[in-house]
Amino acid sequence: MNTLTTIEELGFAPALQQDVLEDRTSDHALLEATRSGDQDAFAELVSRYRNQITSYIYRMTNDYDGAVDLAQETFVRVYRAADRYQRSYAFSTYIYRIATNLAISELRKRKRRKLVSLTGFFQPSDGAEAREFNPPDLRPLQDSELVDTERRSAVQRAIGTLPEKYRAPLILRDVDGRSYDEIARILETSEGTVKSRISRARGFLREKMRAYL
Amino acid sequence: MRKNNCGVVRQELDELMMDETCSSSAAAHLSECGECREFQQQQTRLRQIVGSLGTVAAPADFDFRLRARLANDSSSAAYLSLMRRGFALATVLVVFATGAFLVRNVMDRPTTEVVSTNNQPAAIPEPTKQVEPAKASQDNTSGQQLVASNPEKRPKPSNNERPLSTASKTPRRLVAEDFSSKGAQVIRGQEAVSSFEVIPLDASLQSFKVSLDDGRGNARTISVPTISFGSERMLQTGNQFAPKRVW
Repeated sequence: MNTLTTIEELGFAPALQQDVLEDRTSDHALLEATRSGDQDAFAELVSRYRNQITSYIYRMTNDYDGAVDLAQETFVRVYRAADRYQRSYAFSTYIYRIATNLAISELRKRKRRKLVSLTGFFQPSDGAEAREFNPPDLRPLQDSELVDTERRSAVQRAIGTLPEKYRAPLILRDVDGRSYDEIARILETSEGTVKSRISRARGFLREKMRAYL
Repeated sequence: MRKNNCGVVRQELDELMMDETCSSSAAAHLSECGECREFQQQQTRLRQIVGSLGTVAAPADFDFRLRARLANDSSSAAYLSLMRRGFALATVLVVFATGAFLVRNVMDRPTTEVVSTNNQPAAIPEPTKQVEPAKASQDNTSGQQLVASNPEKRPKPSNNERPLSTASKTPRRLVAEDFSSKGAQVIRGQEAVSSFEVIPLDASLQSFKVSLDDGRGNARTISVPTISFGSERMLQTGNQFAPKRVW
């Protein structure tokens, strides 16, 4: 009869090691390492999410420089609040929630400042539904790439006219491709509300983009 | 019925992801309903356009700027923390110094300000007393200056004043003496006072001043205001709203 002398003979060691390795690369583990002072772990987190967060805020605010600034502020807040982070949600949900709050806060600041936008000249002053001034170009199209660029520009402007509560879920769903459940957690609302808002946002966009559909 | 179907199918189309296919019932409805088919085409096209926006890349110096910002924040936070600690320390020092100053002032207060009256107990005027004339005459043997019977200065009771108790039937006559026309009595301390003494002062109806000399030429004058009691005021003013001659 053979007797076991070491724990490795049980054959558990490789599986355990793999789990540990996988866990070390997870967002949670990287944030834990950041909390203990590992700067490289935080740099890894930044490299994972910088493009997503910058892009998301840019779609929300339609201002690239401001979006970069707010994306950096998002990471600064994550770094500062690393001690208070709880693993109840996915890290992506957590960081997107911070980014959303910052973007919405920026949009409200702009409203208070009453920035005059060029598209605002074509909006009715009586509080009625805003209409995008995008007359379709009926001339024969020369270059499909130019058309795509112009169309993207138009849809970006149209998204920019949506109210905040419709804009964020639409971008998270149709641009970032996130699930309803995750969007609901990011926006701290119910899934039904998210579905309803996305449906209404698409309805608004369909009206604004009718010339391009 | 068909409208209801359209609503259900459109909701289903709305909730689908781009790469998902609709259910068989929805597909059957789409093959029949032209409006829903058009809705589906527009919806698909719109989502393609929105999805084509894609991801915008962060600038190349994003990490560098973020590190600089974090370093700046941490240094400013450290500076603020240092400032807070310094302010707290300064506050503690100020409080401690103020306390020490006050304690020292109290400890260094000259004890000669209070003059001992052990040597001349008979010269100290006793506080004004409201005494009966008979008793007052007995107390006059100790050299008191007060207690001179003067029935004319007795305050007149107001109409609503309650009658005096008739149990003893003894006329209680209040007497007082005006010290304003007389010179103040001088009390001199003959030797250093080793401990504080309590000097009873006359509670006069008029204000007066007490001049103290510590024996080294330092004079100090204390002004004592008029001491009055609520009962006296009530006696003088009375209740104006009470009916006259009604007790």
